[in-house]
Amino acid sequence: MKRLISGSALVAGAAIVLVSVTAWKRPDPEQDKAAQIARGRMVVIQADCGGCHGGGVDPSAKGFLAGSAGPQSEFQIGECSIANPAAKPCFITRPKNLTPHPTNGTGRYTERQIFNALRYGLRPSKTPDVEITGTTPGKGNFPANPQYLAPPMPWTSWRHMPDEDLWAIAAYLKNGVKPVDNKVADSDAPPDFWASSWTVEKVGPYPAVPYPAANETGTSSAQIALGRRMVLSRACGDCHGGGNNPAAKGFLAGTTTKQMEFQIGACSFADPAAQPCFTTRPKNLTPDNATGMGRFTERQVFNALRYGLRPEETPDVEITSTTPGQGNFPLHPHYLAPPMPWPAWRHMSDEQLKAIAAYLKNGLKPMTNKVLDSEGPPNFWATAYTVERMGPFPAKPFPTENEKQ
Amino acid sequence: MEVTIVAEPTRLSFIPGKSTGGYAYNGRVPGPTLEAYEGDKVIVHFRNNLPEATTIHWHGLHIPSTSDGSPFHPVAPGTTFDYVFTLQQGTAGTYWYHPHPHENTGQQIAKGLFGSFIVRAHDDPLKGIPEKLIVLSDNRFKEDGTIDIAEPASHQGGIDFQNGRECAHIFVNGELNPTLTIKPGEVQRWRVINASAARVYRLAIPGQTLMHVGNDGGLFERPQEVKEILVANSERVELLVRGTGTPGSVTVLQNLPYDRYSIHTRPTNWETVSDLLKIQYTADPPMKARAIPASLRVIPPLDTTLSVRTRVFVLGQGFINGKLHDMNRVDERGKLGDVEIWQVENIVGMDHPFHLHGFQFQVIDRDGVPEPFRSWKDTVNVPKHSVVRFIVRFADFAGKWMYHCHILDHEDHGMMGVFELN
Repeated sequence: MKRLISGSALVAGAAIVLVSVTAWKRPDPEQDKAAQIARGRMVVIQADCGGCHGGGVDPSAKGFLAGSAGPQSEFQIGECSIANPAAKPCFITRPKNLTPHPTNGTGRYTERQIFNALRYGLRPSKTPDVEITGTTPGKGNFPANPQYLAPPMPWTSWRHMPDEDLWAIAAYLKNGVKPVDNKVADSDAPPDFWASSWTVEKVGPYPAVPYPAANETGTSSAQIALGRRMVLSRACGDCHGGGNNPAAKGFLAGTTTKQMEFQIGACSFADPAAQPCFTTRPKNLTPDNATGMGRFTERQVFNALRYGLRPEETPDVEITSTTPGQGNFPLHPHYLAPPMPWPAWRHMSDEQLKAIAAYLKNGLKPMTNKVLDSEGPPNFWATAYTVERMGPFPAKPFPTENEKQ
Repeated sequence: MEVTIVAEPTRLSFIPGKSTGGYAYNGRVPGPTLEAYEGDKVIVHFRNNLPEATTIHWHGLHIPSTSDGSPFHPVAPGTTFDYVFTLQQGTAGTYWYHPHPHENTGQQIAKGLFGSFIVRAHDDPLKGIPEKLIVLSDNRFKEDGTIDIAEPASHQGGIDFQNGRECAHIFVNGELNPTLTIKPGEVQRWRVINASAARVYRLAIPGQTLMHVGNDGGLFERPQEVKEILVANSERVELLVRGTGTPGSVTVLQNLPYDRYSIHTRPTNWETVSDLLKIQYTADPPMKARAIPASLRVIPPLDTTLSVRTRVFVLGQGFINGKLHDMNRVDERGKLGDVEIWQVENIVGMDHPFHLHGFQFQVIDRDGVPEPFRSWKDTVNVPKHSVVRFIVRFADFAGKWMYHCHILDHEDHGMMGVFELN
């Protein structure tokens, strides 16, 4: 039962019902599993697994979690960049098929192997089905020569999710999704299977340093603690600075280097000069008045995460509609620039999103770092964020055609 | 001074060969230029013959709030109102008047309702210098000549909401690229008013400098020689222009590019240089050089140590301090007679000109850089991602006063607040 109690509002509600029932009735393992799968589904949607693995945040979308659909789903990792696509090394990595297909998907793995992938970054195909009891190679079942998941799989963030969430993801992938036969070629990897990319120096420690770290205020509440966990486990720092380590320099302080910028639009590795090509820059999320979030209210931050509305361009009001011009939803919504994954983040519960806002505003120390405005089209990305492209909110009920009970 | 002003629908020719239905004060666009002296009592008998409510806001004048023509004092269609006020000593300068009805200012000004108000000083140090009035406005027309105001939900509506309604046709005193004459060697005093909804003008005459002698609230202490001058929405400047050309020659008043825009909606042709005005030199032989006074007047400083509080105004895109304007809400309350510092922070990536009704202020600094010299202002442009501080004394007149972005689309959308002075 423990794994059910600290989940999203929806699942927590179910847990309370279950607790009251189990006080005088024997536990029902099937109902327990169903709640776990529901929780896993919500985390998969919130964490945007489908953003890389297929289908985005809409479980009914074609190819949901079925893995790379071709070159457009692949990544180039290494020295190569838009500016210099020929630079070496350049590894092609491919999001895997996460559906439980027996030969080409997660059907080959146990839930524990999936858990170990998410918590420790260990490739399930190369890591035995054992409980891992250490993080030092060769000790406590941690492989002597660990083979890690390829970038940009953000397992160094996902590992900060509570055990219950990671087990729930594994349960959902194995039991709540229909198998899809899509064979994805192996990702390229350096000889050390990314071991030098995933050092503590680069990705921070697990568990995270205790609160407050150097960049944090020490103002404490249950809400701030939840917000911190959400920020760490949803990879905010991967783009906004400092990775998942609140003690790291520049944690959430926004873009400081060209490497932190994104090129969005028609430009690509194949054609860096194609237009339009917009440079977007992760913002300073610390509560600095002049350069960060200091002048935004927690509600404006919430509205950014739930509706994608730029806080400096959307008043501090409760939004009660998603139709432009209605219910305080702006007639001309100005959306956050890609790749900010708010279409996924919006699926977090109100409690979780408000906790993130509370942590950013009250748990972080202000850092002065002026980030240049992100570029974008005149409609402020409105055509990028249609229901067709990002699925409905809330998500369609379980099970959709890609899912099974 | 006692005048009658009537606002009514009219039909005029703004662009060649087209007849345009609009609004006008006393049948003219711009409306009649009013002139009076410091100390004069002004009585304006106003009749609203429009099919909708309106007001006349006396932009920049320090007068009772009941005559300020704010949205709190609408004049219903078919009714009259007398604006009565006395022009304060020391306020000689270039002002303007325009409607300020609730959420409808931009449309009424676009239709033609704006005019100039010159307040003169009996001891004007520049008395005798020939004057020219240059009222800058812009507009957009449909093929049939009607004024083109975009549907709010349309793509153009979105661009206008963001940039403000910036239009291709630029008018000087209601005319397209008119000709102004100047004698060789002559010095002229130009009073320039930016009556555009959103367009900011960066003025220059190729190959010569300008003597910048005044701002919104009148003359400086000393002339400032400049190569160009920025005039944001609703701002005014006074310039001394020297006729350095030869007899019969021609030059132009140019509008240089100025990047006030959000990176998303910056027009693709924003770097275009346009000619606003043809300057034609007469065939007269060059006049004798005229001495320009080194000292114009004394502007008493407002001492920052007298400030009893600093208020912070955070400018978002279309709102202030996170809030859209609400006629039923008082956003800030102050005490009559207090001196205050207002800190205006623009947190978005485009400029917002900030206007305070009823009280002239002195800019202290911009992004911490002290203002190089004193002047009286009622509107200050706050560039993208910058902070401007000004100091103001709330003398004489209690009541509810508006403060807002003077990009009219922003103002009408709700980028405005209410400051109540008791």
